[in-house]
Amino acid sequence: MAWAKQGHDAAFRELVRRYERPVFSLLYRMVRDRALAEDLAQETFIKVLNGIKSYRPEFKFSSWIFKIANNAAIDHLRRKSIDTLSLDGAPGAETPDQMRATQLQVGDRAESPLDEVENRELGTAIERAIARLRPEYRSCILLRHVEGYSYEEIATTLELPLGTVKTYIHRARNELRGYLEGRRE
Amino acid sequence: MTDLAMHLTTDEIELWAQGLLPATRAMHLADCSLCRVEAERERKVILELVQLPQFSPRAGFADRVMAQVKVPTPSGDWTT
Repeated sequence: MAWAKQGHDAAFRELVRRYERPVFSLLYRMVRDRALAEDLAQETFIKVLNGIKSYRPEFKFSSWIFKIANNAAIDHLRRKSIDTLSLDGAPGAETPDQMRATQLQVGDRAESPLDEVENRELGTAIERAIARLRPEYRSCILLRHVEGYSYEEIATTLELPLGTVKTYIHRARNELRGYLEGRRE
Repeated sequence: MTDLAMHLTTDEIELWAQGLLPATRAMHLADCSLCRVEAERERKVILELVQLPQFSPRAGFADRVMAQVKVPTPSGDWTT
């Protein structure tokens, strides 16, 4: 980290090499789109490395990078949920004709090779169950059980009260159990 | 109520699933089918989560990032 703060290219590359898989995995599971997850991961690393001088060593570097990655994912998902509303037509559309004229057209599209990869990678029951969780639950459960963060570390990383983190994780595990047991019945 | 008689909390069940629950509390599971069933269900989902694989971005990811990063030189200038 000290070398990276002094601006050594090799140290920057080492940070990318060390964190690209966990950061990309978190983002991919959050947005479930490989190309988009890669764009968000790239955006995260650029932000982190260009802002390296503002890094405060009393925090874990991984917490800082996960915080930026998670914010990027949540921002994207919020924007997307606003866009989804526009499927019903422009906000100002009042009559059925206006709504029809302004609504987005979603047609059938053939599965691309990238879709096939995504279906293979994220098609298991547990991955599909994770996808059904609220984004806030999803990031907490992934940091807890995939990255092995403690509740306290998650609270610091996501800037949430400790009690909220515990509640999110317990609810997430309950929901996951429900989805997975429903599948087995 | 003694330690042995008290049902496990959610936090304790998580500790048990990770093999970290103190023996004095873990003994409760031998006598309580309610907690045993709950703990087993919890262990299954935790096991599925910890076994999730990591994914890699496309090759050349670091190069694409570094092309857009300003690296400060020892003199204090910035290069890309």
